[in-house]
Formats: sequence, structure tokens, C-alpha cells
Amino acid sequence: MAFYGLLSFSGQPFQWQLLQDPYLFSILRFTLWQSALSALFSVLFAWPVALALLHLRDSHHKRWFLSLCVLCFVLPTLILITGIVALLGQSGVLTPFLGEDWNIYGLSGILLAHIYLNMPFAIRAIYLRLSAIPAGSWRLVQQLKLNRWQQFRYLEWPAAKSATWITLGFVMVLCFNSFAVVLALGGGPKSTTFEVAIYQALKYDFNIPEALLLSWIQLIVAGGLYLIVTTFGHVSWLGQEVKNRTFLPHPSPRERRFYNVVYSAAWMFLLAPLTALIPKTRDVWLDTEFWSSLIRPLSTSILLALMTTLLSVTLAYAALQPYRKALRTRSSSALWLDGLASHTLVVPAMVLSVGIFVFCLPRMDIDQWGFFLVMFVNALVSIPFAITQLKPALASYDQQYWPIIQTLKLGFRQRVYVEWKFIRPVLMTAASFVSVLVLGDVAIYSIFGNQDFVTLPWLIYGYASTYRIAEAALASVVLLGISLALVLLLEKQRSRNA
Amino acid sequence: MMSMLTKHWLSPICLAAAISLSSQPLLAADSDNAEKSTTLTIYTYDSFVSEWGPGPQLEKLFEEQCHCDLKFVGAEDGVSVLNRLRLEGDNTKADVILGIDNGLIEEARDTNLLQTHSVDTSVVKDSLNWADKTFIPFDYGYFAFIYNAEKIKKPAESMQALLDSEASIIYQDPRTSTPGQGLMMWMNSVYGDNVDQAWKQLAQQTVTVTKGWWEAYSMFLEGGSDYVLSYSTSPAYHMVAEGNTQYKAALFSEGHIAQIEVAAITRNTENRELANQFLNFLVSKEAQQIIPITNWMLPVIDGVELPEAFDQLIQPRDIGFSSDHIANNRKSWIREWRSVVTQ
Repeated sequence: MAFYGLLSFSGQPFQWQLLQDPYLFSILRFTLWQSALSALFSVLFAWPVALALLHLRDSHHKRWFLSLCVLCFVLPTLILITGIVALLGQSGVLTPFLGEDWNIYGLSGILLAHIYLNMPFAIRAIYLRLSAIPAGSWRLVQQLKLNRWQQFRYLEWPAAKSATWITLGFVMVLCFNSFAVVLALGGGPKSTTFEVAIYQALKYDFNIPEALLLSWIQLIVAGGLYLIVTTFGHVSWLGQEVKNRTFLPHPSPRERRFYNVVYSAAWMFLLAPLTALIPKTRDVWLDTEFWSSLIRPLSTSILLALMTTLLSVTLAYAALQPYRKALRTRSSSALWLDGLASHTLVVPAMVLSVGIFVFCLPRMDIDQWGFFLVMFVNALVSIPFAITQLKPALASYDQQYWPIIQTLKLGFRQRVYVEWKFIRPVLMTAASFVSVLVLGDVAIYSIFGNQDFVTLPWLIYGYASTYRIAEAALASVVLLGISLALVLLLEKQRSRNA
Repeated sequence: MMSMLTKHWLSPICLAAAISLSSQPLLAADSDNAEKSTTLTIYTYDSFVSEWGPGPQLEKLFEEQCHCDLKFVGAEDGVSVLNRLRLEGDNTKADVILGIDNGLIEEARDTNLLQTHSVDTSVVKDSLNWADKTFIPFDYGYFAFIYNAEKIKKPAESMQALLDSEASIIYQDPRTSTPGQGLMMWMNSVYGDNVDQAWKQLAQQTVTVTKGWWEAYSMFLEGGSDYVLSYSTSPAYHMVAEGNTQYKAALFSEGHIAQIEVAAITRNTENRELANQFLNFLVSKEAQQIIPITNWMLPVIDGVELPEAFDQLIQPRDIGFSSDHIANNRKSWIREWRSVVTQ
């Protein structure tokens, strides 16, 4: 449907002359440039932190730090944007120390936000690989008396090399598709990415042919990048660290000091924008009018997240049924279905939204169905996430229980009961993951949303862009609280699964 | 355009419209059928409907006369009003659009989504020379850069001087905002074929380009820049409402572009009578008394008493293009601008 929409709009042809417009090349250049830089810095900064996590085995609150990493990666971006503005904007806490020429709007702001959102992901991915180095290898390192550089060169780097490259590519794809950060911190047209250009073509210019052409280019470039990355394999980052490691060489005191500094700096970097919100809220803490104005967007967001999650997880479960059946009967189509299910990530939310928008435009009143369209598109976008969570659990369930269930000839209700018992924790993980993603959505809302159902992130965007930082901060804190609760739920379920 | 700003001004875009104005339930299904009186829906820009803008007062006054329900729906800025109308086409819920300007008139007419009005245009000031059958003016003013005289001791006296200075500037996106579009016309009329170079110079000094006037102006008041694109009438607000005289409009020797803000009736409205009644009301003396001191623009009829502050405003020389010329060139001007300002 989206693709059909992308192909047609009341017979208007593509504007091929846009291909000769320098505008197109400057946004392509900028989109690639900022995503490459973001990916590079995220991974570069992640390495020392991952090493510090590994070698400071007794470091405090390591588990908390890893949970914080999950939170940062899935954090609704508007919270971070408000935090960064509170810290480094015109009247930010740290701005006076940054000199006259400092301007958060532009590449600096975009990079800062992207590094913040993606470095934690890289830290986890690299750290997981490092922590999987077997104790025997460490013993060997010690026996051979390898120096620090050799230890890195022959042991640590090879262990996490592939994870590093894949993370680099993956983060680049994510930043290539970035929307809210660029819209809010880009400082207007000087830093325009494809997602923003598509949004502007549609909502600023009402230039549908241009929006469609841009969508196709975005789809091709992002899809190409994604395919390149996935041929190198995929990276696990939500997994548990390998515990019971019995041996690790003790770092030298100098090394230890370095790790401690890195570790503390990482804590500070990740906490600073979030804590900076709190003092800013002071002005409106007791403003009852503000609180009552928050109720509607808040309940809209929660309702939207609940309904979308239900839809997304159900659809993901349903989509996995043919795959399970194929797996049980050992049919060769299992592999093909597997491929299909895990490659839907390619289509960026914005491209999907524009396709569906153009499809629906002549067919229905988009304003009236806005809420359901936001829900539907969000569900579509989040299904791959739900599938990657559910798939291994369902496969192992079938493997372990299917023969017994068949032998016992269990009735439908009993089978549902047994399966529910088994997959409930995974379902909860998938659900909380999807909920956080939906709660933070801005891209899809920006296309289908309207004033009749303002979501919390959009409200924050409205406040932040009219410079009402106190209100933006307080609304952000509320959203942060909900996201935090969901991440903690997710982490709890995950450790139980493990 | 200037509804405004004290410390606690206004609920922004979303709030004003979503909470206080929207009578629709959360899930957006239409439940208006139950109501007895007719609803007149007006698309306008956000600051017009904000708490301090003309919206609430006009609404109250007009509802007393018409026994109807007046519903304002706010977009980010004037150009967005037209974009939204185009996007919705014949399905639009708007009976009236309010807040596009002379620069957009021909383009709006070409959509064929509007119809002629029955208002007697002879009430409009002679100086505006108004005889349009589709659009009714409701206020006017001149685009100007506003600065804080306590910070800037020697303001720029021409566009060229502003671009040659190192002052920081915030302006609005010409694709969404009528002031942004006004700046585009201004730059094109001052620089003609060399406008590329001028945009480049301006880009060096630009802090940010915002979607609407409101974002830009509030950022400026927070100390975000030395100059902000607004109106020659903006200082009147600060004088009347706040007693502040430090905000001033810079008078440019090249001349200024005038903005006439207009309203029109949509083609598919079911409330044609009521819509005409509203346009008549817009140019009535009681509405025109309210608009200058809430939207901070000049009245379009004679005989409106204005606060003294209005006498102290700059008196710019009028330059600019005909509506036809603007309609023919707007797209290519925008393309030119956007090619230069994207890095």
C-alpha cells in the first residue's frame, strides 16, 4: 500500500529536474556526512568505555550503567533534545563556558545528540563481545607477558572487531534516518537530512511529487547501507553479559586510573542532559494550569502506546505463525520467511508514512482518522522489533514442547495456556520495547498528527521550539519517568529470561 | 501578526488549540452533530488564536452577534494555512482562511478553493486601494528587523549594512511563514540577480531559521540573536503592553516590503452567509479596534483610535512586487534560497 502510494499521486509525474538541483546533492552530502561522523564518534568513544567496563570488574553500579545504556538508546529523542537545550542552549547551564561563538543549532547539536543516543548501543555491543573472551585467553596473555598494546592488538580488538564494524554501519543507518534531532537542533535549512527534506516537501511546500522522489532516494540509499551492514552479520546488544568469568588480569594502577576517569566521564555524559532537566522545571512545578494541560497529551500518548503495542505484538505473533509451521515441518520455506521477517527494518518510518499518506489522501479524511493512522504506521514500523524478540523464544518453545504437546494430544485451551506460560516474559519484553519506541515517536506523528490529539513528544517539541524550557523540561521529566519504568520492566524480564 | 508575549504568554500551538479550542473527543470522531448552533471554522496562524492574540476577543464579540460557534484552528504560520487548505482540498473543514498575505493572494486564488465575498470594500482605507472580490484585508504592516537598543547602540541603516555587519539574525522559513516570505521578496527586490550572494552573506549570520514567527520572536526575546525579522509595528507592543522602549525596528534606506493580511471564504463552505458576516465583522470598527492592540499591526479602516506608541513607529518607504510577479516567481525564489542555505 505504501509503495503503491509512493508510485502515484493523481497522475503527477516525478519531478526529474530535481535530480539536477544542487539542493538534492547538498542534503545527500549533509545526510551522509553527519551520519558518518555520528557513527564514527559513537564507536570511537564507546571503545574506552567498554574496556573500562570490562577491566573494572568490581566497578560500582555496573548493572545500572548497562541499564542506563538501554534507556539512552530507546529514549524518546525529544527528552534528550530538551536536556541538551537546557544544558547548552542560549541560556543553558554550561553555555557561559563555551565562548561567544557557541551555537547549539547545527552540526554540533546534531552530533552531540546522535552520539548520546547511539554510543550506549555501541558500548553494550562491544562490551558484550569483550566479556565473552574466554578466561584461557587472558591467562595466555599473562603468561606471554604481552604489554597493554599487544593485549589490545591480539586479544581485545579481534574479539570485538566485527561487532565494531557492524555497529558502525548500523549507527550510520540510524543516523541517516534521523528526524526529530535534525528538525529540532538542525537550526533550520542549513542542516537538512532526507527525512526532514521529505517532511518539508510534504508539509511546507505541499509538493507531493518532490516528497515522493526524495522518499525513493532515501529508501534506496538507506536500504543499500542497511543491506551492506547486514551482510556482515548482525550484532547482539540486548544480550546478557557472560557471567562466572573466573579470571582477568589485574590492570596496572595507571590503567586503573584511566578506566576510572573514562567510566566516570561516561556516567556524567549520559546523566547530564537528563539531570539538567530537573532544575529547569522549578518555574512550573506548582502551576496547576500547566499540569492540567498535560493530562490530555499524556493520556493520548499512553493510549496510543498501549493500543499500538497490542496491535504490533499481535501482528508480530501472527506473522511468525507460518515461520513456525515451516520450521516444525522442516520445510525449506522457513529460511525464506526468516529472511523476510528480519529485513523489514529497511523501510524508514518517514518513507512508510509518506507512502501511506499519499495513498490515503484521496481516499479518506486523514484528519479524522489521524489517531488510527499514527497507531497503524507505528505498529508497522515496530513489528520487526517485536519479531526479533519473539522469534527465538517461539522457536525454542516449539523445539522443546511441540513433540510433547502432540503426544499428549492437548486441547486448544491447554495449548494456549502452556504456550502463554512459556512466552509471557518474552512477550512482556517485546511489549515494553515497542511501547518505549511508540512513546517517543515524532516522525510518524508529524505526518498524520493534528491538534485533536497532541502527543507528549509533540507537545514538548512545541514548548521547546517556542523556548518555554521550563514547560518542555517538566513534560520531558514526565515522559522520562514512563520510559524509565518501561526500560526497568524490560531489563527485569530480560534477566529473568536469561 | 503580533500577539504577544509577557513572561507567561500564551499557550503555544498545540495547547491553545488542542485543549481549549478543540471540542472533539480524543478519538476524533465527529460529535458536533449534537450541537444546535452552526460552527464557523477558521484556519489561521497560532499566534492569532493565542490567549493574548485577537482570536479570543474577536470570538467573544462575534459569537454574541451571530449566535454561532466560532472555531479557530491554528497552523504554524500564514503559509501553512494555505498549505493545509491545499492539502485538504475540497475536504477541508475550513469555512474561512485568515492570515495569508498579499504575497500569497494569487497563488491562493489559483487553487480554485476559494469563492468571492459580498463585503463592501469601500470601507477599506483609500491608501490600501482595495477592490479584490475574493480577499478582505484585516490589518497591515511593514516587515522590519527588530533589535534591542540596550544591546545594539548603532543599528544597521540598510539591508546592506546589516549583511556587512557581524550581527546574529533569526528569521522565518519562507516555505511556512509569511514574514519569511516577506524577507524573500525584500531580498529579491533589493538585490535582484545578485540575491544568491546576499543569501550567502545572511547565512553566515543566521542563528536559526524557524517555522513560524512566534518561535523566532520568542527566541530573540530570550537573547537568542541581535536582530529578528518581524514588523515595524512590533515595538508598539513592548511600549503599550510592557512599557518597554528598548525594542526598536531598524529603518532601512532601501525601503521595506508591506504586508497586508487577508481572509477569504472557501469554495465548499456550507455557511456562506455566516462566513460573509464574519468578513464584514473583520472590517467593522469594533474588530478593527481590537486587532491593532492584539495582533500589533495597523488597522485597515480610517477612524480607529490608536495608542500613542503607534506615532513613534518608523515610517518606511514602500517597495515590492505586484501579486502576479510574486506568484510567478515564488517557487524559483524558494528554490534559490534553499540551495544557498543548505550546507
